[in-house]
Parts: sequence; structure tokens; C-alpha cells
Amino acid sequence: MKKNCEDSERMARLAAGDAHALHELYEKHGRALLRFSSAMCRSRQAAEDLVHDTFVALLRGPLLFDPAQGSVFAYLCGVLRHRVSRHFRQQRRWVELDGHDAQADHRADPADEIARSETSAVFRRALLELPLPHREVIALCDLEELPYHTVATILACPIGTVRSRLHRARALLTLRLASLELVDLVEEPPLMQLS
Amino acid sequence: MTDTLHPQVASLLARYRADLGDTTPSDTLDARIAALVAGEREEIRPARPGPRRLRPWAAAAAMAAVAIATGIYIGMRLERAAPRANLARQADALPTDFSLWPTDSVALQIPAEYSPQGTLVAVDPSARSTGKRYWVDVVVSNDGTVRIDRVVPAEPANKNNAGAPDGITLQAP
Repeated sequence: MKKNCEDSERMARLAAGDAHALHELYEKHGRALLRFSSAMCRSRQAAEDLVHDTFVALLRGPLLFDPAQGSVFAYLCGVLRHRVSRHFRQQRRWVELDGHDAQADHRADPADEIARSETSAVFRRALLELPLPHREVIALCDLEELPYHTVATILACPIGTVRSRLHRARALLTLRLASLELVDLVEEPPLMQLS
Repeated sequence: MTDTLHPQVASLLARYRADLGDTTPSDTLDARIAALVAGEREEIRPARPGPRRLRPWAAAAAMAAVAIATGIYIGMRLERAAPRANLARQADALPTDFSLWPTDSVALQIPAEYSPQGTLVAVDPSARSTGKRYWVDVVVSNDGTVRIDRVVPAEPANKNNAGAPDGITLQAP
């Protein structure tokens, strides 16, 4: 609660014209936002660009933040989420000219800078292949370990939707990992219920 | 519903979470944010919600609304003009002996006499006449309208030739 008050105070200062409050917010939440962005984007550079855009948006419209709707961090995650979504919409407009080169880029993916082991890198690729709504719910619930109500605020949906989407996302991820032979489905009875 | 995480997946998630946890903003990002703060510190004013750009979907919706409103307006104008034109056309085509009364109707002849109160009331045709008797021609149409066509003094010859036993004579109009 105290953290929220501090953040609200920083937002008030930012709205009053104190740009240093933005730096304080970046110091506090920038790393978590970059983690979320990195989990969502294939490229580390794109992830950083989106975090930067998020703070630019915050600087341009601090009055858009409503403390009654949730915490500053949830608001920033919501802004970042929209930026990520827009980023992928714009990406769809571009077509790769050569599939072979795309494969080569995939192997030398800058995402592997984040994953330290080969297993993590494969896991990351499997996560990045999930649809965006499923990927973001995994990133927020399982990677950032945010409570459901916070995730519901960020995603602007009911908690029940978060739960069901998370269930579906986990099932999809597990199946994808099984197809990559990172997970053995036969030995685990609980996942037999999924099929 | 969310407790179906596979143990191996949970392990992979934990490992990946640890990898992600080591992610720190690059110096470039730090510098960009610092530049943003420094650049804005001079320019920034107490923010207020400025005029928003007109979004494409809003413009399309506005144009559609205008088009629909114009269509409705033109339709209303045409709708109002059409009945008048039709009526004028019909009036020209009507025959000179046209009557507004419906053709499918029944005329009744009802015997009536003046009561002591001075009103004309229907009487039993078989009863003896105490005063001057009249025939009231009533026309009942199939559209539910009733009108008194005429009232004529009954003559003795007509009285005996009343037609129906109840004194009501059906006539074609």
C-alpha cells in the first residue's frame, strides 16, 4: 500500500511537471517491465524499445492514470501490453523475403541472450510461439508471479478469464514442449486429462 | 483450473524465470530514458489532456452516420411526397358518380312514431297506431357504419305491405 502511495505521489509530481519522477518510476519498475517485454518479444532490442515507448507515453499523458483502477505498475504493464500488441500488428505487415535467411536468424536469435542454457532457449522459443493472449498471461502469472487480480487489471478482463486463459496457455505450452521432447507427457497422469 | 502445471514445465518455467530475472536494462535504454527526462524537464508543462487526433475509425463512423442520416432524410421527403401525388392521381381517375359510401350494405325500414316527449321512437308494427307513423330507412354497412338514410311518413298502403313480420324491411341500397 505504501509503495502504491509512493507511486501515486510520483505520478502526481509527473503530472505537475516534475520529469524526475519519471526517472524514479523507471528505476523502480523498468526492470520488471523489461522482463515482461522480453518474455513477449523475440528481440531484446524490440523489448527495450517498447519499454522506452511506454515511458514516453507515460510522460506524454500522466493524467491518463487513474489510481482507482489499479497500481502504477499495473498501469504501466497495461500500456506496455498495448505497445507489444501494436508492435506485433506492425510486424505482420512485413514479409520475409527468404525463408532460409529467416531460419538462420532464428538460430542466431537475440532472444538467446536472455536464455542462458539451450533448454531455456528452446523453452523461450516455445513460449514465443504461443498466441499473444496466452503468452502474456504466462508471462504475467507464471514468470512475473503477479496475483490474479493484478493480472486481471492489466489485461482488463475478469479474474475468471485470467484463470481460464492461463489454464489454456499452460496446456498449449505443455503440448508444444512435449512436441519438442522437453516434456514427457506419458509419465504424468494429470496432463492426460487435458487431451 | 490452473493447478494443472506439469512438473517438468514448472521446472522449465522456474529456470527461464531465473534467466529473465537476470535481465537488466542496457546502458542504451538507461541513456535513452535519461535523455527523455532531461529533454522533457525543460519543455514539460503541467500536463493536460490535449486535443486527440481524429482516429480513422471515428472518421469512418462519422461519415457513415452522416450518410445514414441523409438517406433517412431523403427517404422521409420521398415518403411524404408520394401519398400526395398518389391521391392527386387517384382523384383525377375517379368517376364523376363516385360515392364514398361502401356498396356492400343493408337498408332497414323501421316503423317509428313520435313519443309524448317529442322524440321519434321505433314501434311494434303490429301494434295499433296511436299517431302518425313514419318509416326510418337505416343503412348498415359492412364496415360497421350506420346511417339514417331518410325518414318518410308511412302511408296506409305501405303499412300493410311491411314485408318482414317484425316490420323491418330489407332493401338493397
